[in-house]
Amino acid sequence: MAKIIVVTSGKGGVGKTTTSASFASGLALRGHKTVVIDFDVGLRNLDLIMGCERRVVYDLINVVNGEASLNQALIKDKNCDNLYIIPASQTRDKDALSQEGVEKVLKELADSGFEFIVCDSPAGIEKGALLALYFADEALIVTNPEVSSVRDSDRILGILASKSRRAELGGDPVKEHLLITRYSPARVDKGEMLSVDDVKEILRVPLIGVIPESQTVLQASNSGTPAIHLKGSDVAEAYSDVISRFLGEDRPMRFLDAPKVGLLKRLFGG
Amino acid sequence: MSSAVTAFDIKSASLDLLALILRTDNPEELTTALEARFGPAGDAPAEAFLLDVEALAAAADADYGRLLPMLSRHGIRAVALRHPDSSMAEVASRYGLAYVRSSTPPRQNLSEAVSKPVEVAPAPAPVAAMIIDRPVRAGQQIYARGGDLIVLAMVSAGAEVIADGNIHIYAPLRGRALAGARGNTAARIFVRSMEAELVSIAGVYRTIEQALPESIKGKPTQIYLENERLVMTALGE
Repeated sequence: MAKIIVVTSGKGGVGKTTTSASFASGLALRGHKTVVIDFDVGLRNLDLIMGCERRVVYDLINVVNGEASLNQALIKDKNCDNLYIIPASQTRDKDALSQEGVEKVLKELADSGFEFIVCDSPAGIEKGALLALYFADEALIVTNPEVSSVRDSDRILGILASKSRRAELGGDPVKEHLLITRYSPARVDKGEMLSVDDVKEILRVPLIGVIPESQTVLQASNSGTPAIHLKGSDVAEAYSDVISRFLGEDRPMRFLDAPKVGLLKRLFGG
Repeated sequence: MSSAVTAFDIKSASLDLLALILRTDNPEELTTALEARFGPAGDAPAEAFLLDVEALAAAADADYGRLLPMLSRHGIRAVALRHPDSSMAEVASRYGLAYVRSSTPPRQNLSEAVSKPVEVAPAPAPVAAMIIDRPVRAGQQIYARGGDLIVLAMVSAGAEVIADGNIHIYAPLRGRALAGARGNTAARIFVRSMEAELVSIAGVYRTIEQALPESIKGKPTQIYLENERLVMTALGE
């Protein structure tokens, strides 16, 4: 039985696509057959982050409209054997998506043996975002530690609880996971950023991980390699912990404290 | 089951009505006034009205047989007659109207043509409180029509909870809470942790921009109306 996970946030620029890419890659690295779908029709980015933009021939809309088969649109990832990508269309807009069309694609993916289907939601609460979360079993709520991002995440949590298929059918609700990204402990200490505890207290959703703010993410995006592949970096470690927790392992939270700065570094800058 | 049991059901219902307070039963005078206010008589869609005849000198002798059709041509469909004297019940039933005994003392403000909506139906059975056990998130709105609202999870900033009766929130209130939404000034709001953006009772509202006093900030608090002013006090003191 395939599990559908939506990566969503409400607000843009908080790290949904970065998270979708690393999360899907992480699941695939652990041996799970995974597909990640870009729902941001018209503003496709996932293929860039995954480094497969030059291999896009058919996209999600083509499959929804029956212009291409699912296998034609699935792009095999260059880093992981078990990972496939369905890109969004660059030339269409979100009205080209329909609930029936998305349902058909998701069902076909489940039937072809995918264990995890990761839906990379666009920002906002319009049609694309609503369709990305509608069929979800679980949700990763990506939040930056600042008030407007937290407020928008709260809004999305409300939509998950009222407008998803699970909410409409009245069964088990969508399982929610809070993922805090771009976290900078040093700025939290200076009072410039909300702390993990502040965000948890406002949203009251179980925390699945904290991804530290890092230059690595930008380098990873520019090189078309999901950050989780950059071995030894904080970000890769943090995403790897998220995967472990998602798969039911117990991992302590890391990267919550500012690194101690030595005397020489403080004197001479660094 | 016999057919007598299933032929109909009696359920509680309530209806907001406007009252028409008659100051005269002189047909000419009334026609002029009605036309001045509503335009010439026509087939205006009928709306149910309560006919208050308390102000008439001889309410029992008024010519209702002529008055009622006249009013109804202006869209005023009288469904009940209101007067303090219960002997008027007989007059009311003669014209097919329900009788309502006015319990309020004679009005001081006689210039007011239309009074506030009043309920003619017998007091409806109490409406069961609405219970919400999931968080109310930003952008969501919950309305408990006709009764109390009980929320067991937090109400986020940007969320709104509304009730015609009281509101109880056994978690932090960070959004807006509006009790007594249809004018019940006796309604109250009770919260486990007071962090609201806005509170309102019967339309009297207060935005909370400045920090709340330490005695209620983040603490169990009740909010009620006293002399048309909102009062917020710590609970359990």
